[in-house]
Amino acid sequence: MSIFGGTISSLEKGLDYSAVKHKTIAQNIANVDTPNYKARSANFEAIFSEAKHATVSAYRTQEKHYDFKMQPTSSNVTRFANLRYRHNGNGVDMDKEQANLATNQIYYNALIDRVSGKLNSLQTVIKGGR
Amino acid sequence: MSIFHGMNTTASALTTQRLRMDVISSNMANVDTTRAKFVDGEWEAYRRKTVTLKPLEGRFSNFLNVAVGTYEKGEAGNGVKVSRINEDRETPFKLVFDPTHIDADADGYVQMPNVDPLREMVDLMSATRSYEANVTVFNANKAMLSKALEIGK
Repeated sequence: MSIFGGTISSLEKGLDYSAVKHKTIAQNIANVDTPNYKARSANFEAIFSEAKHATVSAYRTQEKHYDFKMQPTSSNVTRFANLRYRHNGNGVDMDKEQANLATNQIYYNALIDRVSGKLNSLQTVIKGGR
Repeated sequence: MSIFHGMNTTASALTTQRLRMDVISSNMANVDTTRAKFVDGEWEAYRRKTVTLKPLEGRFSNFLNVAVGTYEKGEAGNGVKVSRINEDRETPFKLVFDPTHIDADADGYVQMPNVDPLREMVDLMSATRSYEANVTVFNANKAMLSKALEIGK
């Protein structure tokens, strides 16, 4: 059994997701006045499955069946190609982006808090409760 | 992807919005300029300038990073840039009757710049709001980075 018990690495993946999400939000807000720009979104599933290297695959009796093996996609950022909010073809919803920004910040802080909590517990154990 | 990638993205947007404001300032400042350009022996009035934006993509460093596998294709993006500053040749010059003006034509009309102060003010407000939104993102990024430094404290 490892000393960190997988908690830290799981939280780390969450932090990775949060960082990518923040970058997409920054990109979307940066391009709020760019004509024909389409909003992007960080894909939690893709990042998580990529991180965990899922090995579950479907039992297929016919080749036309969908194989729902979670394949690490080439990109973990999706684009909403047919979204339009403004007359110039721009697809950024500023309210949504700001809300996502606030949510993501809290999520990130929560994860950091848990990492710190875990490390503090270990510290307590190492010092023998003193 | 570096730690400061998000900050660089936001910084590019701040630069862009500030340039938009500069162009708007130039338009407002030249609202009465009748001698902006000397074309074929005659003075031409100032033409309203507009800014065209495009996402900051296709840089050499991007392709290099994808090629060496530093990061994957289609990642979060690199921000925004001004692709060009255009002169507005669609809107006609405003004709003002002022025979005493030095640039008046034979009928006494002066061609004034095609700048509409109302339109410029609306654009200015739009640029200011976008700038503020990007400052919010920058502050959020800063808060997240300093929070990350608190790990283990």
